[in-house]
Amino acid sequence: MEMKAIVDCNNFYCSCERLFKPHLDKKPVVVLSNNDGCIISRSDEAKKLGVEMAGPYFMAKPLIQEHNVSVFSSNYNLYGDLSWRVMETLKMLFGKKNVEVYSVDEAFVDLSIFPVEELDDIASQVRETVETWTGIKVSVGIGPTKVLAKLANRLAKKNKQQTNCITVLNTDEKIIEALYKTPVGDIWGVGFQYAQKLKTLWGIETALQLRNMNEDFAKTYFGGVTGVRLIRELKGVASKKMEDELVNKKMIATTRMFGSPVGDINDIKEAVATYTSRAAEKLRRQQSAAKVVSVFIVTKDQDHMLNFKKHGTITNHVTLPVATSFTNELIKPAVELVDTLYEKGQLYKKAGVMLSGIVPDESIQGNLFVTENKNCERKLMDMIDNINFSQRDDVLKFAASGTTRDWKMRQELRSPRYTTRWDELYGIS
Amino acid sequence: MDGEEFYGAAYKGSKQFTQQEVKTANATGFGAAADDYMERGIDLNEQLIHNKPATYFFRMKGDAMRDAGIFDGDVLIVDRSLKLVSGKVIVAVLNGELLIRRFYQNFSARFLIPENSRYKNINLGEFTDFSLWGVVTYIIHAV
Repeated sequence: MEMKAIVDCNNFYCSCERLFKPHLDKKPVVVLSNNDGCIISRSDEAKKLGVEMAGPYFMAKPLIQEHNVSVFSSNYNLYGDLSWRVMETLKMLFGKKNVEVYSVDEAFVDLSIFPVEELDDIASQVRETVETWTGIKVSVGIGPTKVLAKLANRLAKKNKQQTNCITVLNTDEKIIEALYKTPVGDIWGVGFQYAQKLKTLWGIETALQLRNMNEDFAKTYFGGVTGVRLIRELKGVASKKMEDELVNKKMIATTRMFGSPVGDINDIKEAVATYTSRAAEKLRRQQSAAKVVSVFIVTKDQDHMLNFKKHGTITNHVTLPVATSFTNELIKPAVELVDTLYEKGQLYKKAGVMLSGIVPDESIQGNLFVTENKNCERKLMDMIDNINFSQRDDVLKFAASGTTRDWKMRQELRSPRYTTRWDELYGIS
Repeated sequence: MDGEEFYGAAYKGSKQFTQQEVKTANATGFGAAADDYMERGIDLNEQLIHNKPATYFFRMKGDAMRDAGIFDGDVLIVDRSLKLVSGKVIVAVLNGELLIRRFYQNFSARFLIPENSRYKNINLGEFTDFSLWGVVTYIIHAV
């Protein structure tokens, strides 16, 4: 029988922080976004205190101080490594081809080869093995389809004491009970607006009610083909296949808040050049080239949080004659764009670079129709990437990025990168 | 990081080389005799890391484990997938703090034992807040 699991790390970033700080177990912990702007991960204890997800840090600060909540800047080196460990553990347990990494902290696993009655045992083995090996706690939801597995996972997480972080939907009775307990808005893939629509127009409140609707209804009123697929998934008919991981991105962006507001055009150009280098590196990593470069800058007074949808940012773009992945060819137009955007006398707090019009990079294989010169540049780029990767911290960079200032993010409360840096290993006595 | 595997089935043995990887295999035929003996160089990961996703590194601070040959500044290789066994050097979680000690167990009691007479043994009573973080498998020590 077709059976799928979703294995999802519990409050992933907070769990990562706790791994080397066990005294924070059962204590409230939150992790902040880039530049310490918003709260992006909360431990169960922090949730209980009423700390809001995605709320601005400064607003939650009184609550955080009152309850002595531990606060961390995001440490993506640590989280990335631990995410790799969790996924690698799953791949070792079930075989590479049966694991689909869905995001940094969740993966689908195909369990179709196991007898249905053994799934409870398998779920607890997975949970225990991942926790023992990596130190990260996970929840496991199992069902005949991806949507049902997600639904099971949500129930597993909702009442951890009772479920032990595991919910297995392997009989019709269990599926129906789970559907009955799930509001439509909490189904994977149903957005807030659709949930409202379903409730007010048709009185559909639970996943069970939605499942009992027919496909014609979905086709006309509920998102067409997508809605039909969703209803089929709820009925236990797999309509979302296991997918190959790592889809190449269609757009690559690097944007950062400046540590403090910046008024000088040369400083902004340096920042933009730095972000362009970073974006170009990401571009080369997925073996693509880009044809469009966009740059935006945000003035200090612009209240980005409140009206970013209005004219909060000043942006411009340029289309290149040929798609490229070479940093030098991307920096030049990006820096020129700054000239068109910059206004003297203004202070700026944020800048960003976006690369789009992404195509496969043809310069990767020494192409006969590409000049010799291009092949050399390709080699130069590979070398820069290799050196920067092995030495870390951008040892080599383009002069346009400046040599004195560090345009990296503001991360005042970041913990050491215990698992990726020799000089930041945990000192134990 | 994907695709980088140093252990288990991913180790290809010594025969899986393309001509490009073996520099002597050129058309002159001169190096051909040596090619049969070409193999992968010694890789420390194979010897020191048995389960990569479960292996973590620590750095020793202080002299609590001196008599076990673990000195200040040494790198500790820790495997979380190994079981708690009496006699092993472990990373312990004691009252919320990480600690390196030798673990001892007899039929009536459990202890964390330092390898330096200046430090005290820790008796792990029934209500002590203790758990295993990982088992130390190797030490990297600069001579």
